[in-house]
Amino acid sequence: MSNPSPLKSAALLEQMKLHLASGAGKDLSKKIGLVYQLNIAPKKIGVDEEIYIVDLKKGEVTKGKYEGKPDATFSFNDSDFIAVATGKMNPQMAFIRGAMKIKGSLSAAQKFTPDIFPKPSKL
Amino acid sequence: MAMRELVTGGAACAVPGSSSSSNPLGALASTLLGSQSKAEGLKELPATTVTGHDGSTAYGTEGPLTTLPGSDSDYPQYQHPAPKTQEFLQSFRDHGGLAEAWDDVRRPPIPPFVQGRESQPQFAEFEHIYASSGSSHIQPTWEGERVLSNFLHSFVDSSRAGIPFQPVSLPALGLSPGEKQCIRDRSSIMARHFLADKSEDYISSQVNALLHSLDIDSDLRVKGPVHGRYPELEEYWSESQGTIRSQPPHAADRWVAEFSQHGPHGDPDSWADSFGRQHGANGWASEFEQEQNQMMATGQMRGANISNLAAMEQTRMLAQTLAQNEDPKFQNSKFLQFLSKMSRGELIVDDNQIKPSDDWAGEYQQQYNANPDAWADQFVRGEANFLQVSHREDTWANEFSNERYLRGEVDDQWVNEFSKLHVEDWADEFGRQVGEGALGEGSEWANAYDQYLDEQLASAKQRSDTSRSVYVFSDMNPYVGHPDPLKEGQELFRKGLLSEAVLALEAEVLKNPDNTEGWRLLGITHAENDDDQQAIASMMRAQEVDPTNLEVLLALGVSHTNELEQAAALKYLHSWLQHHPKYGTIAPPEQANSLFYADVARLFNEAAQMFPEDADVHIVLGVLHNLTREYDKAIASFKTALKLKPRDYSLWNKLGATQANSVQSADAILAYQQALDLKPNYVRAWANMGISYANQGLYEESIRYYVRALAMNPKADNAWQYLRISLSCASRNDMLEACDSRNLDVLQQEFPL
Repeated sequence: MSNPSPLKSAALLEQMKLHLASGAGKDLSKKIGLVYQLNIAPKKIGVDEEIYIVDLKKGEVTKGKYEGKPDATFSFNDSDFIAVATGKMNPQMAFIRGAMKIKGSLSAAQKFTPDIFPKPSKL
Repeated sequence: MAMRELVTGGAACAVPGSSSSSNPLGALASTLLGSQSKAEGLKELPATTVTGHDGSTAYGTEGPLTTLPGSDSDYPQYQHPAPKTQEFLQSFRDHGGLAEAWDDVRRPPIPPFVQGRESQPQFAEFEHIYASSGSSHIQPTWEGERVLSNFLHSFVDSSRAGIPFQPVSLPALGLSPGEKQCIRDRSSIMARHFLADKSEDYISSQVNALLHSLDIDSDLRVKGPVHGRYPELEEYWSESQGTIRSQPPHAADRWVAEFSQHGPHGDPDSWADSFGRQHGANGWASEFEQEQNQMMATGQMRGANISNLAAMEQTRMLAQTLAQNEDPKFQNSKFLQFLSKMSRGELIVDDNQIKPSDDWAGEYQQQYNANPDAWADQFVRGEANFLQVSHREDTWANEFSNERYLRGEVDDQWVNEFSKLHVEDWADEFGRQVGEGALGEGSEWANAYDQYLDEQLASAKQRSDTSRSVYVFSDMNPYVGHPDPLKEGQELFRKGLLSEAVLALEAEVLKNPDNTEGWRLLGITHAENDDDQQAIASMMRAQEVDPTNLEVLLALGVSHTNELEQAAALKYLHSWLQHHPKYGTIAPPEQANSLFYADVARLFNEAAQMFPEDADVHIVLGVLHNLTREYDKAIASFKTALKLKPRDYSLWNKLGATQANSVQSADAILAYQQALDLKPNYVRAWANMGISYANQGLYEESIRYYVRALAMNPKADNAWQYLRISLSCASRNDMLEACDSRNLDVLQQEFPL
């Protein structure tokens, strides 16, 4: 197989894909029911971004642009996304730092919290 | 008119960091009195410049700010005219005619091109600034003023024409240090503004040529937005300090007294009127936009501070929008005040920590804690009066939006850009939704924020940044001086006292920095203690000493895998194979950065076929499959290895973690249980247990395991983060405080396992 995406976020989102199929993941879709687009850049926001769709309506994670309009779109660099998803950085803090850019609905953005992401277990 | 307001609003000396020191006085003066007042108004301005050469004026005019550091002039509704302002106005009225005459006489001859260029705001502004810095300060030598003015205009002219500016020799102008700084700061900013398309070197050389001619040092101080503010902050600080000390317990008393003069007993309208005068007539609006502009200009000019500038920009916009919401609760929130601080550069955010940009903020925080009610009290009192005039604030807000709208039609490039910024801005939408009454969620958000801030400010000093790959030693280490810390460390490790073992091993590597075994075991201990950052740092030191140690290479591969750093992990795993006495022959000496997973995996599969009884190669394969997220293969590899090494607790944990990551949480918990049976103090396995329960939505359960892990290693930061998430998911917000203060006694009592 070819090398997987070098992004740490890709690893986490891959796990999220599996997570959404599990019981807890399905509850999550029910609870949130929104579609988020994540633009994740290796270093600098806006540069060489990979686009992921975290669809918490259907319970899917896909790579590439969303057909339609996501409820909220977030732009991160790789490390900052990991920091937010693992609870190391508070999303509001990320926003204020400029580490997270947001487009779309605020109420949707407010539901974007670390608990929607599965936590990676350590070998 | 709009343009003129824009210009007059910019009279404050705009060092980047002080740009938020908006200038109500100047705005008030120019609005009320028209252009004639400029000279007089500007005399008062040192209060808002960083030069601070007129301290007493600063105290008088900015009185409210000293007692209300959280809300600045960014929030016009809290601007109360201090007596000084009144005095100033009064004195002006008395001498109005004089000032007018004065101004007419002293207005420097403006070359014709200046007037024709009003459509280029930045030039107009620049010329105005120079004109004013000349006219307001250099009173004794009118000749000198004219010289300065002409000189500055020639600089503007050459900049615009793109002609390099040549230093000229000028007669001594007798500029004061404050004036010099003002000119220097202005010049740097404006030059970058004009010459935005030129290189930084060119700009500096231009500015230096200018400054050199004026005999001004091109001091680096202008470059730091924070430093520029020191004098001002110190003034604020010492002022508030003095107030609090002299008039305990209510720091506010003086202010309250002042306020009541204008407040309920007197004529509320007078307050409202002056409020309207200060802010109604666009002064504030134009300052705001001008600052935006400066923010952008300065943002372009330096990469180093760009993230903080971006943060300031963000917060400024957010704060401005939020400031328009009239809900007193919201206005009172620390969140808003925090934003305002951020936007003024008094606080900077570094990683996840808020740091005061200098000691002032920290001291203020202490002061605030010691004397918590003083200003809040005063704030509440002010609130009531504020409500009386809030309808006027509406008009003000309308004017502001009209103003902005009108200006959009003027062909001002940057104003357009500024407006565009707002179109899809989140802050804007936030403000709108809050305004529409979606405040339920909004204020919750703000409250959560307030909490978070307290926590952050508390820990800001205590926790410094851990940069990657640098080992951080514990502060107090009882094992330093121990005759044989390595032996002690091994013993403690064997007993499962991991945090103690860390200390002993640290003592060992401090004593013998070249002991691979010391570093290696320290790394292993950190990994078992669920701290991969420190594990990596230790292992890298071990690898420096012994680049071919297989255990070290494998550990580095594992830790990097845990940190999701795939390329680094692959490099170490490949290196493991290369340096292995049995398999080294099959691994080509490839450059690590051109590795492909497929190739490395193929090599390991080959190796596994060569020696199928070697558990290690299966372990590495398992890690490798984790990297490529082929969890089924990884699980199979670990299971094979476990058949060969059934008592390897770390292997059981690896199996469990892989199962957990592939959402087989129930199986994972069984595997972790095996690991814990073999090693009861295995912090990593306890933390992983917590993760597995949390990922299944069993938050209450997960809390117990996290707490258990933390009880054994209170330094496991990941576990603290996860615990916090689980607590809020389990609606145990009552325990968040204990979590934030890392109070394990409370947590253990509440969540026994």
